[in-house]
Formats: sequence, C-alpha cells, structure tokens
Amino acid sequence: MRALNTAATGMLAQQLNVEVISNNIANMNTTGYKRQRAEFQDLLYQSVERQGASSSDAGTIVPTGVQIGLGVKAGSVYRVTEQGNLTQTGNPYDLAIAGQGYFTVQLPSGEDGYTRAGNFAVGPEGQLLTEDGYVVSPGITMPLDAIDITISQQGQVQASIPGQTAPQTVGQLELATFFNEAGLDPQGNNLFLESAASGPANTGTPGSAGFGRISQGFIEASNVNAVQEITALIQAQRAYEMNSKVISAADEMLSTSANLRR
Amino acid sequence: MENALMVALTRQMTLRRELSITANNLANMNTAGFKVEKLLLASKSGATSSHADGPNKINFVQDWGVARDFSDGRIEITGRPLDVALIGKGFFAVETPDGERYTRDGRFKVDQTGTLSTSDGMMVLDDTGAPILMDAFGGAPSIDQKGIISIDGAEIGRLKVVGFAALGGLAKDGSGRYRAPEGAIPETIETPKIMQAYLERSNVVPILEINRMVEVTRSYQSVSNMLKSEEDTSRQAIQRLGRVA
Repeated sequence: MRALNTAATGMLAQQLNVEVISNNIANMNTTGYKRQRAEFQDLLYQSVERQGASSSDAGTIVPTGVQIGLGVKAGSVYRVTEQGNLTQTGNPYDLAIAGQGYFTVQLPSGEDGYTRAGNFAVGPEGQLLTEDGYVVSPGITMPLDAIDITISQQGQVQASIPGQTAPQTVGQLELATFFNEAGLDPQGNNLFLESAASGPANTGTPGSAGFGRISQGFIEASNVNAVQEITALIQAQRAYEMNSKVISAADEMLSTSANLRR
Repeated sequence: MENALMVALTRQMTLRRELSITANNLANMNTAGFKVEKLLLASKSGATSSHADGPNKINFVQDWGVARDFSDGRIEITGRPLDVALIGKGFFAVETPDGERYTRDGRFKVDQTGTLSTSDGMMVLDDTGAPILMDAFGGAPSIDQKGIISIDGAEIGRLKVVGFAALGGLAKDGSGRYRAPEGAIPETIETPKIMQAYLERSNVVPILEINRMVEVTRSYQSVSNMLKSEEDTSRQAIQRLGRVA
C-alpha cells in the first residue's frame, strides 16, 4: 500500500523539521547564530494513467492523467543568514558586523575559519583572540600599556597610550564575504569553513562596498525569532500527527481486506 | 453474481489510490508551493458476465485523472530577501537538465557562482530565458511586484513568469516542478504580482484531507461488507442447491 510509505516520508520530514526548530530554539541566545530552516520538496510522481492516453474508442484522451505522488523529502536545511540584532555590551573587544561579512579566524589546524560571533578577548601577550582562544586574523597585538582601545567602523584598531597625545594604530581588521554564505560548512562553536557550495572567500576592508561595518561594544544576537519558531513547532507537530493518522487509516483498510476471507 | 465482486474490486482499487493521494497531500502540508490534488472518478460501463439475470449493463469505477487545485496557498512572511511569493496566476521558469520546468516554489538562493537558483540548485531564468547573475558583493537585492531584481538601485534582470491556458495538462516532476505537455506554449505574464520576503506555503487544508481519509476508510469498509454479503449469498446458494433431496 503506497499510502503507508508516503505517510512515513511525511513523518520523517516533520521529525527533521522539529530537530531543526529545536536547534534554533536552543541557540536563541548564541552570539552570531543564524537560524536554520528545513526545506521540503515533493518526491517523485508515478504515472498510473498517462495524460494524453486514449480513454475510449472514439478517440477521446485523458487530459490530466493519474499521477500519484510518493511523499515528501527534505531538500536541504538552509541557513537564513539575515542580520541579527545588535546588543550593546560596552566591552571594547565585543565586535558586531552590521551588514555582510565574516571575521577570519586562524584555526589550530592551519585552516581559516569564519565567524560572525565577535565576542573576542585579549590573550596573555595582547593578541586578539576568539572565545575559544583562536587568533583573529590578521593577528593584532594590543600594546600592554594601552589604556583604551578604539576600533573604528572601518576596522582600524587604535590604542591610546599614556604619554602620547595621538592614538597609535595597531592593526586593521578584515572581513571575508562569499557568493553563497548559506553554503559555508558549519563546524560548531560559531565557526564555519569555506566549502565548494560557498565559493571562495573574498576579503576586504569593513565599510567598503559589499562589506559590513564594525560596531565596537556590541555583539550580534542570534536571528532566531521565538514566536516564529514556536508557530513552526506547532505546525510541525500537527503535521506529524496527521501523517500518523494516514498510517492508521491505511492499516485499517488493509485489515478490512485481510478480514474478507473467513 | 461475479459482477458485484468485480464492481467492488474496481471501487476498492480507486479507494486505495485515493488514500495514496491524500497521504501525499498530507505529507506535503509544509512544502512551499505545493498544490493539493484529488482523484477524479468516472463510471465505465462494461459487459455483464451473464445476460440471463441482472441488469444488462453495469458500471465500473475508474480513476480518470487527478485534479489539481491551483488556488494560492497560505502566504507567509519570512523576511528573507530571496524568498518570493507569486500571488495569483503564473509560474517561475527554471532550467533543469531535462529542460525548462515551472515552479511556484519561490525559495531562491545564490549559488557558489553567484547565479540565482532554486533551493535544489536549478537555475532560475530571466525574461529572456537566460540565468540571472546576482551581484553577491553588492547590497541586499530588491525584487519588485513585476519581478524586476535590482541591487543598490541597478537593475539586474527580471524573473520570467509564465502561465498556461490549460493548467490540467501540466505534469508534476517532483521537487515542486511542473512539466508542460508537448506543444504547449507558455504565455509570459506581463503584470505578475510578486511579493518579496514572503513565501507561498502549500494550499493543503488539513481538515479536508482528514475528512477525505475518514470517508475513504469507511467506504472501503462498506465495500468489504458488500463483498462479504455477496459471499454469504453464494455460500447459501451452494449449500441449498447442492443439497440432495
């Protein structure tokens, strides 16, 4: 019975949907997190009666035909990369990107990682590090005697040093953009890697055309919208339930047939 | 006598197909752009197995086609600039390895080469039938009601939106795409109504589907009951007529 399998694909799809939604809700307060969306597509169709087939001797044809769909499949889990809200923290090493772009991080493996989570800190030698202690590239070292650090919207890092009237420029932050940022390969810990789907990284100065600006003292909150997620969760749960009802209906029909013979 | 069994069989076969279609509708409840389907039935007259008794013409049930309801699905705001909903008539044209296909699913994205594509990577076509190259390093794209895509005020292309005179002739290809029958010429819709940052959900009305499902299972049961009583009749006939004085 086709309906049994079809309903099973529906239940599997909704299960994936709930998994994606629960991950979104769990990461509601994760800095720089981008919500994900499970995208569904209908599966193949089986033609039981072809359109255009002749339906009588008089030459009439079937206009639509009977095509029976085989259910649903999860096409992809898409990351919605829209800007999250900027939240003020006052910490000089909290950086948020307003607009497009990713900070580049030097991973211990030697690869470049990319992140939107700008809750950085300063290491023992004054270098700018991510939460996990990875160096933010290009490595910027803060002078140890600096009393104040200013990072401009264009990513210029300046330190005020006692005894000097003009602030000293200690480095310049860069951002990376991608053709298809939703195609980046997520690594957990707010980090992404370049992938075949994302295309190569294109680096540039913050604030220039196509790159976002940096806001010092802010972090980018996740772009998860609690109301939207809960609504989606209700929808997913009901859809799951209805698909399970189809399975019991198909089962009931099969048992009716089975009981025909006494 | 066998007539009743055969008629019941055709009904049970169509009921099973009907349940398969309902199952597919419900499985695709949350599929963007999915259009609900319904089995069309027709009676087909056939010859009786014997002319001696009973009616001299009987009607079997035959599934004749699938009707698709092309009315708009729920329109839902998503806030994503590359989600587009088509209100009213029309389809977006998409290039696939098998040729041009048509879809109502407006979940577009930009692939690694900067081309506007569907969620499974098929190229979306512009009004000249060419792929649309997005300026990925520009600002957020804006898409107006007529489907003109512009980035930072510069026009990039216009989405191809087509309609068909006979929607019934379209066949489904899966992945939300429709195939036009041979010889059908898609007509360009000059003034489509496109909404950016919205998505068209499926137009499945769950309550109707659940209702149909109950109807199908109950009809199936009553046809089975009919079969049982037919069987009883034959059994009794055999027992009575076969009794030797």
